[in-house]
Amino acid sequence: MRRSRIVIALIVVVIAIVLQTTVFGAGRIQPLGVAPALVVLVLIGLAPYVEPEYHVLLGFTAGILVDLVGSGTLGLWAMSFTIVAFLAGRLRARYADSIVWSLVAAFTLTLVAQVVYVVVSTLFGQETLGEPNVVAKIVMPAVWNLVLAYPVFWILRYAYAPRDRSWAS
Amino acid sequence: MLPQSGRRVNRVTILFTSLIAIGFLIATFDVRSESDDVGDVLREGTQSVFTPLQKGVDWVTAPVVGFVDGVANLAGLRDENDRLEARVRELEAEVRATDALEEQVVQLELINGLTIGEELSTVTARIYASGSTPFDNVRYIDKGSNDGVIAGQAVIDEDGLVGRVDLVSANDARIRLITDPAVSVGVRVQSTNETGIVTGRGDGPLRLEMYRASQPVREGALVVTDGSRYPPGLVIGSVARTAEAEVGFVLRTQVEPAANLSQVDYVKVIVGFSPIDAGLESDAGTTTPTTRSAATGDG
Repeated sequence: MRRSRIVIALIVVVIAIVLQTTVFGAGRIQPLGVAPALVVLVLIGLAPYVEPEYHVLLGFTAGILVDLVGSGTLGLWAMSFTIVAFLAGRLRARYADSIVWSLVAAFTLTLVAQVVYVVVSTLFGQETLGEPNVVAKIVMPAVWNLVLAYPVFWILRYAYAPRDRSWAS
Repeated sequence: MLPQSGRRVNRVTILFTSLIAIGFLIATFDVRSESDDVGDVLREGTQSVFTPLQKGVDWVTAPVVGFVDGVANLAGLRDENDRLEARVRELEAEVRATDALEEQVVQLELINGLTIGEELSTVTARIYASGSTPFDNVRYIDKGSNDGVIAGQAVIDEDGLVGRVDLVSANDARIRLITDPAVSVGVRVQSTNETGIVTGRGDGPLRLEMYRASQPVREGALVVTDGSRYPPGLVIGSVARTAEAEVGFVLRTQVEPAANLSQVDYVKVIVGFSPIDAGLESDAGTTTPTTRSAATGDG
């Protein structure tokens, strides 16, 4: 595994967090009141380019960073993103070469990330499940990720394999 | 090939299980720990890395985001509507503030020897970033301890209370919105003059609980801070639905926040009113789990 691939992946995650907290932050671009979950989307999109074990570590790191930037209990998004990275690693062979599978993965795994967070945070004493609009907060990021999946995955494919001519090129 | 593949799967599964266990331990430690020193240090350290990037991206993309927002606003019609709505909110806030001040004056006049102090000094700050998920209720502002900001101070906008200062660095600070379940504020219902506690629910209306209420609270009644930790008379919002007071029961209802928290760009930090327990705030006021909301409560 080339080190540059992991470094690129980390840089992509950091960029995603910065964009998520600024461009897609509160009061900015939030169609229908909820922004896309960009960090989860790039995590799913990075799965074909990073070895599964590194990808799981990347998921955990991304989750911890999101926890540290956010207001919730530390470790909850880390667990959620680790699960998503693990599942994405399992599915990566399927959606690496299929646009339909990649879109399905973007939607489903984003949904998984949100649901896992809501359940785990509720178990840890937060009132997440009882929040108003909790369904919209779970579903809408998955819908927006479905919309953004093609361009984001294209950018990632270009970053890792600019000469690759597959579905995204 | 097969054994290699099998080993890889096993390695990934073991790593996955270990990381989940580590995440679980971190969360347990964060919830159970009495002080948040380690968590705060980590949060401040992370934010110090992200702050320059966030400010840069915010500066670069602000015009684009504004343009996109403008297009989305139906070529000016919605802009005009927003402007007028903002003006109406401003005027309503002025009326509410005037009512609150009149009420305070009456009360102060009843207490001999007390005079109203000078107007509280504030620092205007711009919000440059927010939390990264829809479940986060934090905003980052571009003013910090160099500007007199300390943890626990109240943050307001033209409509009312927005939240309180949570973490502070030299030039930046994090504010926790009043909708955060970890934030509780001691309040007074203006129409009945009875006190209670308002707590965030993550989103939408706030929860109002009054333990010694003897009168009903009516829909639309103004709710303001009681002055126990934040300056008195800051507008929180208005009662969303009428609730009757019953002997032996806690009066529970909801309060619609006056501030439009999803659209706040600029805020004011009240630096002229120090939290009565600023020391406590720095230790316990930055807690994140709701289990510690009582410790951070105002009432």
